[in-house]
Amino acid sequence: MQAANRQIFHWMPVVFVLFPILILLGAFMRSVQGGVLPELEGWFYPMMTLHGVGMVGLWYVASMAIVADLLTRYVRPSPVVANVALWGTVIGVVLLLASVFLGRYAAGWYFLYPLPFKGEWPAWSNLVFLLSLTVLGAVWLVWTLDLLRAIGSRYTLPQALGWHYIAGRSEPAVPPAILIITISLICGIAALVSAVILMALFFLEMFAGIANDPLLMKNLTFFFGHTIINLAMYLGVAAAYEILPHYAGRPWKANRVVAIAWNCVLLIVLFAYFHHLYMDFVQPGPLQYIGQIASYASAVPSTIVTLFGALLLVFHARMRWNLTSILLFLGLAGWAIGGIGAMIDSTINVNVRLHNTLWVPAHFHTYNLAGLAFLVLAYFHHVCQNATGLPENHLLQRASALTMTFGAYGVFLMFYLAGAYSVPRRFALYPAELAHGTSYAFWGMLCALLFLLGFLLYLGETGRRWWRAVAG
Amino acid sequence: MRRLTLLLLPALLAQATALAAAEMAPPPATRAEARLEGRAVPDIPLRLADGHERMLSDLGQGRTLLVTFFYRRCAGVCLPFLEWINNAATEVGGLGSDYQILALSFDEADTVADLRAQARVFGLLENRNWHFAVTDQAALADITGALDFWYRRQGSSNQYDHGSLLVAVRDGRVIRALSGGPGQTQRLRELVWELRGRVASYYAVDKEPMLRCLDFDPRTGALRLDWGMLLLVAPALTSLAAAMAVFMPRRHRPSLLRSKS
Repeated sequence: MQAANRQIFHWMPVVFVLFPILILLGAFMRSVQGGVLPELEGWFYPMMTLHGVGMVGLWYVASMAIVADLLTRYVRPSPVVANVALWGTVIGVVLLLASVFLGRYAAGWYFLYPLPFKGEWPAWSNLVFLLSLTVLGAVWLVWTLDLLRAIGSRYTLPQALGWHYIAGRSEPAVPPAILIITISLICGIAALVSAVILMALFFLEMFAGIANDPLLMKNLTFFFGHTIINLAMYLGVAAAYEILPHYAGRPWKANRVVAIAWNCVLLIVLFAYFHHLYMDFVQPGPLQYIGQIASYASAVPSTIVTLFGALLLVFHARMRWNLTSILLFLGLAGWAIGGIGAMIDSTINVNVRLHNTLWVPAHFHTYNLAGLAFLVLAYFHHVCQNATGLPENHLLQRASALTMTFGAYGVFLMFYLAGAYSVPRRFALYPAELAHGTSYAFWGMLCALLFLLGFLLYLGETGRRWWRAVAG
Repeated sequence: MRRLTLLLLPALLAQATALAAAEMAPPPATRAEARLEGRAVPDIPLRLADGHERMLSDLGQGRTLLVTFFYRRCAGVCLPFLEWINNAATEVGGLGSDYQILALSFDEADTVADLRAQARVFGLLENRNWHFAVTDQAALADITGALDFWYRRQGSSNQYDHGSLLVAVRDGRVIRALSGGPGQTQRLRELVWELRGRVASYYAVDKEPMLRCLDFDPRTGALRLDWGMLLLVAPALTSLAAAMAVFMPRRHRPSLLRSKS
C-alpha cells in the first residue's frame, strides 16, 4: 500500500466534481438542439463556452497531474509549484465560472478574435474570462517548467529525448514515459507561451486600444489550443506506457523505434495546428500544406508504435483485467479511433467539406472522452487501488467501463452521422432544412446521460477508494 | 518622477501607435458594396465611341467587365476617377486578357463625339479594351437603378451631383463593387488583382493592426511576411531555449547508475 499524501489525491476531487457537471452541460446543449429544452436556447452558447474550456482545461490539468505523479518515481518535482498549480487552477476555474454564469460570456472555447469584443455580454465578463485564462496559462507554464527542471536534474536532454536509442545505444535505460513527457512538456512550453502572447495582445487592445490582426490572433489561438489538447493526449499515453506493463506482467521498454516515433512529435506537432486554418483564404498556401503534412507526421508514427506496442504487450500475456487495465486499453483504442477521425478531417480536400459540420466535435470528443479521459480515469483508479488495496468488485468495474464506453460511442456516433449528413456545428436550434440534426442531438443527449451513469458507477469504485485513501 | 515617466512611456507609445494606426486605416468595405454583389445587371444597348451599337453583354465576351459611370462635362470627380482606374489597370496589368472596362455616361447631353473626345484625353481612343458609351434614358434608368447609382442635376447648371461607383460584372451579375472616391487605391488594385485570378491574401480590418502576419503590396502583387509572424515563431524558439536552459549540464549531476543505486 502506498502513502496517500500525494498531490494526485488533491487533483482527483477536482475531476470527480467538475467532470459530471461538464457532462451535464454537454447533455444540456444536445437537449436544446434535440428539441427537449428549446426555451433555454439563450444559455446554449454560454454553456458551450464553459463546456469547451472546462473540458479542455480539466483534462489538460488532469494529465499534467498524473504525469507529475508518475514522475515522482524517477525525479523530484517541487511540491510548492504543484500546490501553486492546484490553487491557480482553482482560481482560474472560479473566474471562468463567474464570467459565464454571471456575465453570460459566450465567445466559445476558441474565443476567436474579435468575437470577445463584439458579443452581447458585458465587457467585464470578457475581462474576467481572459483573466481566467491568464491565470491558468501562467501557473501551468510554471508547472511545466518545474516538471522539466525535475527531469533535467537526472537526465541530460539527449537522454530524456532518447537520442541514444536512435544512435543505436541501449544504455542508459530511459523509461518511455520520461521520453514522451519530456517531448510533450517542451512543446507544451511553446503552446503556453503562445497563450501568453495571445492574452497580452487581447489586453493591449482592451486597455490601450491597439488593434490586432485577426489572422495572427487565430494562428496564436490554435497554436495554443490545438497543441495543448494534443499534448494532453500524449501525457495520458505516457501514463499508459508506465502502468499497463504492471497489468500485463511484461516490461514496455523504450527502443530505437519508440524513440524515433516520439521524436517525430517534437516540434512537428507545433505545425499541426495549421489544419484549423484551412478555411482561411488569407493564410498562405504553403502553411496549409505544412499543416497537412505535420498533422500526419506528428500523429501517425507515435500512434502506430504505441498501439502495436500495447497490442504486443497484451497479446498472450497473463493480463490482470480490472478497471485500470480495461480503461487503459479502451483509452488507447479511443485515441486511435479519434485519431483516424482527426486525420480524415486534417486532409485538405476532406476538410473543406467537413470543417463546419459536427464531424469536428465527433473526432475531438472521441479522443478526448474515450481516449484521454479513459487513460486519466485508469490512472486514478490505479493509484487509489494501490493506496488502499480494497477488494475489487469486478462486476461493478466492468459495468462501469461498459456503460461509459457505450455512452461515449453513442455520443460520437450521433456526432459522426450528423457530420456526414452535413449538420453544421454550433447551431443552438436547427432550422427546418436541418431537422435531421434534431434526432441525432436527442439520441446524443441520451447517450451522454448513459455515459454519466457509467461515470457514477466508476465513482462508486474509485471514489470510494479515494475517500478511504484520504480519510484513512 | 523618472520612474513614473519610464512606467508611463510604454503606455503612451502604445496609445500613440494606436492613434496613428487608426488614422492610417483604410475605410472598411461599405454595406452598400456588399449589397450589390450577386445582383443582376440588365443587358442594355450601348452606343460606343466608335459609333457602333452593342449590347452590354457583348463587351465582356466571357471575361469580367468593369463598369463605371461618368459624364463629359463633369468638373468634379469623374475625370480623376477614370484616371485612377486607368492607372490601376496599367500598374497591375491584365487589361484585355482578364477584363475590359466600360465608362458609361449618365448625361443625356453626351454624344458619341463627346465620348471620342474623352477617350482621346486619356489616350484610350485606340484601346479596344476601354469602352466609352452612352445609352438611352430608359436603359440608363434600368442600369443605374439596378446598381443603386444615384445622380441628380444641380439646378440649371450642366453639372450633376453624383456618387462614384465601379462594379465588376461577370455573366450578368455583379461580382465586386467599389464605391467612393479615388482615395481607395489599395482596394482598387486588390480588385484588379482578383480579376486577374489571384486572391490577395489581404483583408480590410476596422483599425489597422500594429502587427500583421502578412502584408500585400497591391502595386506589385507581392505578398510579404510581416513582423507579426515573429510572434508565431517566438513560442517555438522560447520552448527550445527553455529546454536548453533547464537541461543545461551541471557539474555535479549524479550519474544514472549512481542515482539508481
